[in-house]
Amino acid sequence: MNFSFLDRLLRNWLTLRKPVSRLQAIGLGVACILLCLTGWWLITQGAAESRLVGPLTLPSPAETFSKFSELWNDFALTRNVLVTLRRVSIGFALALMVGIPIGVTAGCFPRVHAFLSPLIMIGRNVPLAAVLPLMIFIFGAGEKNKVMFIFVASVAFVISDAARAIMDVSARYIDTAYTLGASRWQTISKVLVPLAAPTIFSACRQMFGLAFGYIMLAESIKIADEVGGLGYQIQIFQRRGFREHIYLIILVIPMVALVIDQVLAWIQRQLFPHLYGGDGMLRSLVRITLIPWESMKSLFFYRTPVSLPSVATEERPK
Amino acid sequence: MSQPPAQVVGMGTVLDHVRTPQEVLRPHVVEFRNVTKTYNAGKTDEFTAIRDVTFVVEDVVEKGEFICVLGPSGCGKSTILRSIAGLEPQHPATSGDVLVLGQPVVGPGSDRGMVFQDYTSFDHRTVLENVTFGLECLHMPRKQRDELGREWIHKMGLNVATDAHKYPHELSGGMRQRVAIARTLILKPRIILMDEPFGALDPLTRLNMQDLLVKLWKEVQATVFFITHSIEEAVFLGDRVYLMSNSPGTILEELKIEPATSSANEMQRQPKFLEAVYYIRDKITKLESNQ
Repeated sequence: MNFSFLDRLLRNWLTLRKPVSRLQAIGLGVACILLCLTGWWLITQGAAESRLVGPLTLPSPAETFSKFSELWNDFALTRNVLVTLRRVSIGFALALMVGIPIGVTAGCFPRVHAFLSPLIMIGRNVPLAAVLPLMIFIFGAGEKNKVMFIFVASVAFVISDAARAIMDVSARYIDTAYTLGASRWQTISKVLVPLAAPTIFSACRQMFGLAFGYIMLAESIKIADEVGGLGYQIQIFQRRGFREHIYLIILVIPMVALVIDQVLAWIQRQLFPHLYGGDGMLRSLVRITLIPWESMKSLFFYRTPVSLPSVATEERPK
Repeated sequence: MSQPPAQVVGMGTVLDHVRTPQEVLRPHVVEFRNVTKTYNAGKTDEFTAIRDVTFVVEDVVEKGEFICVLGPSGCGKSTILRSIAGLEPQHPATSGDVLVLGQPVVGPGSDRGMVFQDYTSFDHRTVLENVTFGLECLHMPRKQRDELGREWIHKMGLNVATDAHKYPHELSGGMRQRVAIARTLILKPRIILMDEPFGALDPLTRLNMQDLLVKLWKEVQATVFFITHSIEEAVFLGDRVYLMSNSPGTILEELKIEPATSSANEMQRQPKFLEAVYYIRDKITKLESNQ
């Protein structure tokens, strides 16, 4: 009896790729966090000398979290988080603004892609640690070099991912658009880009996470009197031997990343209801803003009244 | 609309002018003159899809013809269709002339609408946005094109209220093909090219779609080129059937078929219908065994 219950439970839980309810998924995630915390507590409990792992390597949870108010107040955690976030966001937004149009063009026209491919190749494989001092030479100390570092670190990836996404749209959509009378520009703007957009978006969502890692590298160097940011704080704590603070920041960064990722996921769902269901609030918003633009275009550019090719019989002599 | 103000006198009609030779001697709808298409010419993987294809589709007054193309698989049926559409890489032909209404084909256009076998609905657009895509490309004002779009959604047997704002992934295969046909017919093309449009549908849906297509085709009066693997479908739908040989494809025989008088389901039980079907089937079986 007991055995068959366990058997059923295992079968139920270990069915291949069986979807899990949202509540259960969250519960399992929380269980994992609790398990890690317990493990952390177990190996760091007791007096300093009798611990499995010494306090110089890993402080206990209590020691770590007790330093939180110090980090929050004396080391201005929120301000540093916001500064770091601003740098990543501006740099990454620049990379998107430059990279997506170039990537889309490269995806649409293989000749452009062939022309740019050496640059993309170099950009993707450039040693970032070597780029950092260069950025400081070129853009000087302060905000600019950090923003530009994020830009340089991510723009080649944005270009190649956008190009890939456009190239992956099946050729039959282009054929269909052409036989429905779409021009080349209309095929790009109404078919290729919208069909590739979800792929580009999720690629960029992942890349934003990477960019968040790069900024730590850029912030490790602070020359002028700009706000250090999280990366510089880690440097300071390392020099002073504040282990608890470093561990706290390591815990804070994933939290911030999680929040950002959830926001991006929400935007993604609202932009592409044809993939993720829902009411597509942002898509509707985009369309509503496009309607006046479209009417304005028809006022200024296409004055000739639209006429359909007349039905075959109408052309014919009777 | 642009009808001349004709005066009806009893059973006669006075035209507004005396007809000129240009009006009567209308160019052929489609003309192939010794068309050959070879891919990768000169390389080791050289492949000739069609060789020396010559045929003509006349412009029959007040009626577009329905032409079905049958043949063993890989015989170049799609090559013929895509050459008419002007789609690469089948266009341009390696040698020979492809003429539509007397003019050489230079590229794709909405005068030659095409319906593909694969579902090619634009996934990011609702049914209505899919149907009105071509009109949007013509810069027709939104209100006007949405109205026309709804009309066509209704004509295709879809429910305007419930289906117009669905996305393609929410539709069944048959409904998707209805959308694909609607967005082609809404542009009133002179020629409609259909590359096995019902190939992926279940048999019953297929029969329904055949009836619907016949009804709409009579309404829009376009010339239809219809590729199919189903001989029954070809004999039921076609005014003419082109039978193609093995690769490299040529047109082997041209059959003229009486117009269907009843629905697909009834028509396909009649002896004379079956006789035509068996004749073609024997031909194709022979062709495939020679391959």
